[in-house]
This record gives sequence, C-alpha cells and structure tokens, in this order.
Amino acid sequence: MLESRGLLSILRKLKSAPDQEVRILLLGLDNAGKTTLLKQLASEDISHITPTQGFNIKSVQSQGFKLNVWDIGGQRKIRPYWRNYFENTDVLIYVIDSADRKRFEETGQELAELLDEEKLSGVPVLIFANKQDLLTAAPASEIAEGLNLHTIRDRVWQIQSCSALTGEGVQVRERSALADRHLGLDGDMDTHGDSRSL
Amino acid sequence: MFVYLWGYLYRNFFRFWLKWILRQITRKCELQRICEGSKKGAQRTLKIEHSLDSSKSKVFKDAVRTGEDEVEKCIAVIIKEKKINIQKDTGFKAKLQVCLLQISGYKKLYLDVENLRKLPYESENEEHEELLIKLWNLLMPHENLKARITKQWCEIGFQGDDPKTDFRGMGMLGLVNLVYFSQHFTGEARQILSRSNHPKLGYSYAIVGINLTEMAYSLLKSGALKSHFYNLVPGLPQLEHFHQFYCYLAYEFDKFWFEEEPESIMHFNQYREKFHEKVKGLLLDNNVVLTLQNIKKPQAPL
Repeated sequence: MLESRGLLSILRKLKSAPDQEVRILLLGLDNAGKTTLLKQLASEDISHITPTQGFNIKSVQSQGFKLNVWDIGGQRKIRPYWRNYFENTDVLIYVIDSADRKRFEETGQELAELLDEEKLSGVPVLIFANKQDLLTAAPASEIAEGLNLHTIRDRVWQIQSCSALTGEGVQVRERSALADRHLGLDGDMDTHGDSRSL
Repeated sequence: MFVYLWGYLYRNFFRFWLKWILRQITRKCELQRICEGSKKGAQRTLKIEHSLDSSKSKVFKDAVRTGEDEVEKCIAVIIKEKKINIQKDTGFKAKLQVCLLQISGYKKLYLDVENLRKLPYESENEEHEELLIKLWNLLMPHENLKARITKQWCEIGFQGDDPKTDFRGMGMLGLVNLVYFSQHFTGEARQILSRSNHPKLGYSYAIVGINLTEMAYSLLKSGALKSHFYNLVPGLPQLEHFHQFYCYLAYEFDKFWFEEEPESIMHFNQYREKFHEKVKGLLLDNNVVLTLQNIKKPQAPL
C-alpha cells in the first residue's frame, strides 16, 4: 500500500511537479522530539541527541522532493526567534510530546499563536502526536480534541500519531499497511482541510 | 589509481621487505626502533599502535585490543616472537608496556564513558537527584531552590522547569561533567555562568555544557583524543581525565564565543562546529595536551 497520509500526502497536494524544493519548518516545545524527527527523516543516528541551542537544518531527498527541513530549538527563551524562520515556509510541522500532559495547554497556546501569524497564513500544518511508543502517551484523537483542531478552517491540516524514536509514522516513503495497524493509526488518523479530499 | 595501487603494494609487499632490510641493518625490529627513536607519549604510542595494527600476524594485531591485565602476557609473546634480546635493549620492555597500557586504557576509558552516557537521568534515583541539587548549590550558592520542579533551573541554563529532560542522549555523563567543572573549577564555572547571562551574546549555560559533553564524547569515540591522553597519562587514563578535558572545552568555548561575537544564540551550531574544528586541529599535533591546569590550579574539592 502506498503511504497516502502524513507529510507525503501534504507534499503531493502542495506541489504536483517533481524536483521541487520544499521548505519545512519544525516547531514545538522543548523536548517534543523535533531533532529526533529531523534525524529520522534524514536516516541518521538518533542516539546522541542533545538539546538544540539555535537550530539545525538538513536537506532530505524524498520521492522527487528536496525537503529543506529547519528544526528550531523549542525552549521558551528562544521562541521569540521562531518568527525569523517563517518566511517562505511551505509546510509547518508542529511536534507535540503526547506523554507530557502537563504541558498540553502550553503547547496548544504556542500552536494557536503560530496559526495566527500572518507570515504563516494558509501554510499547511502537520501535527505530529509524537512519543506514541510511551505507554502514557495520549492518542492523537484526544490531542486533536484538546487543541480544538477541528476549528481550523483557513488551511490544510492533519494530525498524525508517530514515534520519532522508533521511526513509526514519520517516514516519507512507502510504508506497509501492517505498520499502520501496529501503531493503531487507522483509528487515530484525522484528515481535514478544504473541500479537496486527501 | 596509482596512489591506491602504491598503497596496496606498500601494505602487502614493500612494507614487509622494508622492515626486513631495516631489521638486517639495525639488528632491531620495528617496535624496538620506534621505542628508541621516538619521544615518549603520543609520538611513540601512536606509532606503536599503528605498527601493531598493520601487522599481518594475529598475535601483534591482537596486542592493540588486549585488556590491561593481559598486557604483561602480551609483551612476553612479542619479545619471544621477535626474538628480542631484552638484556641488550634494557629499556624496551618498560617502554612497550607503557604504550600498551595507554592503548588499552584509551579503549577502556571509551567503554566507561559510554556506560555513563547510556545511563539515563532518573528522577527516582536518589543519587541522580542529589547530584543535580549539588550542581545548583555549586553554581548558585546564594540562592535556594524553591522546589525541585521550578523555573529557577532556567537561571543556570536548563530549558524548562525540570532539567531531567535536557540530558537526553548524553545521559548522566552530561550531569557528571557539569558537576565536575563546577566542583573543581568553581570560580571559573560561576564566572562563565554569569557571562552566559549577557543580554546580547548570552547562551544557556547548562545545555551548552551538555552539547560540549557531546563534543568531548565524539572526539573520544573517533580516536581524536588519543594524542592528548597519550601525552597526559603515562598509563591508564581514568574517567577523571575525561571530565578534565570537558572542563577545558567549557572554559575555552566560552572564551571563543565571546571573541567571535556571534549575532545571536540562534547561530550556536555554526560556532560550535567552528570550535569543534579548531579543537580537532589542535589534537593533530603529537605534542598536544589540552588541560585547564595549564591556566590555573584547580581549587580544592568542596
């Protein structure tokens, strides 16, 4: 089965012509798993990750796309710098630590502020409900509800369960239906946006 | 192509004959010539390591993988195999022993460091918690922590209100490094912490420290630190020596950062890489020793 959800589906919608560059902005609170996700996308070792001071950038070739992925540190102190990276963003990936329930409110606020940003208006957003490998992780459906994602009307958006640690749900390549079932994605997946179907 | 062919021929053919000819002329084997002809420390030990490692004989190749307790036995085998007359070459055995201890010690040190790195920080572990509180008390002697989970942690450069999530891939190694620096170079650590609060050039002290632990770790892992340790310790390097190297990085990085005057903290990785390259360059010198002791004597442990 072809992977028809998540990042790839958004990319396919976004750019029909191949060999196009896509600027992806990775944001989220500190310890959400942004750098681990970045390294997973680039198929790099994820065992020596340290807190991101500043930002990391990597280019990943995938299915005819050249993805330039910007991973910006999430600590409160440097969140004011996020806006310096908004310009020309094609896709916003917002990463949430699904097991850190104490900070759901904080992460929801940050996301709401991002969606209000003029420079990001209309930019498709993919929300990764990360750390699904942890027993205490909230399912994506619960997070979607908590963040009132269904009220987003001005852009294409998706929420996807994933584990940047194991790589489940984050690959931008073909994946078997088996892996989907293993993560329980069939039930959690929610795809919204304008009238076009994904 | 030519270079490749030459390298192949040299390794498999010429090297052997070159060694044979030199042996006939000097009446000494390559190991003896190295021990005699090169200065103790990195110069000698790196050559010995290379010589043993490129040997075709398994006994010699194994010598660079031997453990500390096997070194004696290994030297006896080498002396027998190479028919070395130790009555004539009296210094050889002791010199080779130091080299082999350094070689095996470096590998052992990597394993010890790796074990500490793999140990995750756990809030349930009292020792871990005590060490974290110790770090606070060393750096902030005039301010009490109001709670274990508090925004105060940001004052020493952690990201949020609980430092435990900041250790990540460096595990307890990151915390132990931070504590070691604060404990043995208390004055320097506090001074650097206060500089890191600079309104324009400031950075997050603790998480930059954890990034420097990663730098020290990767230099150790790649073997780049061999020159430093072979010069510093005439035997088995200990964990403490690794922590001391971290102290050097923490002190020197701060100096480097303020000299470079980066635009903002967002450029950290770019300058981190530049600093990394600088250190790698220094480590290429076979006489290198990178310690803070050269700058100032460490203060007595508290």
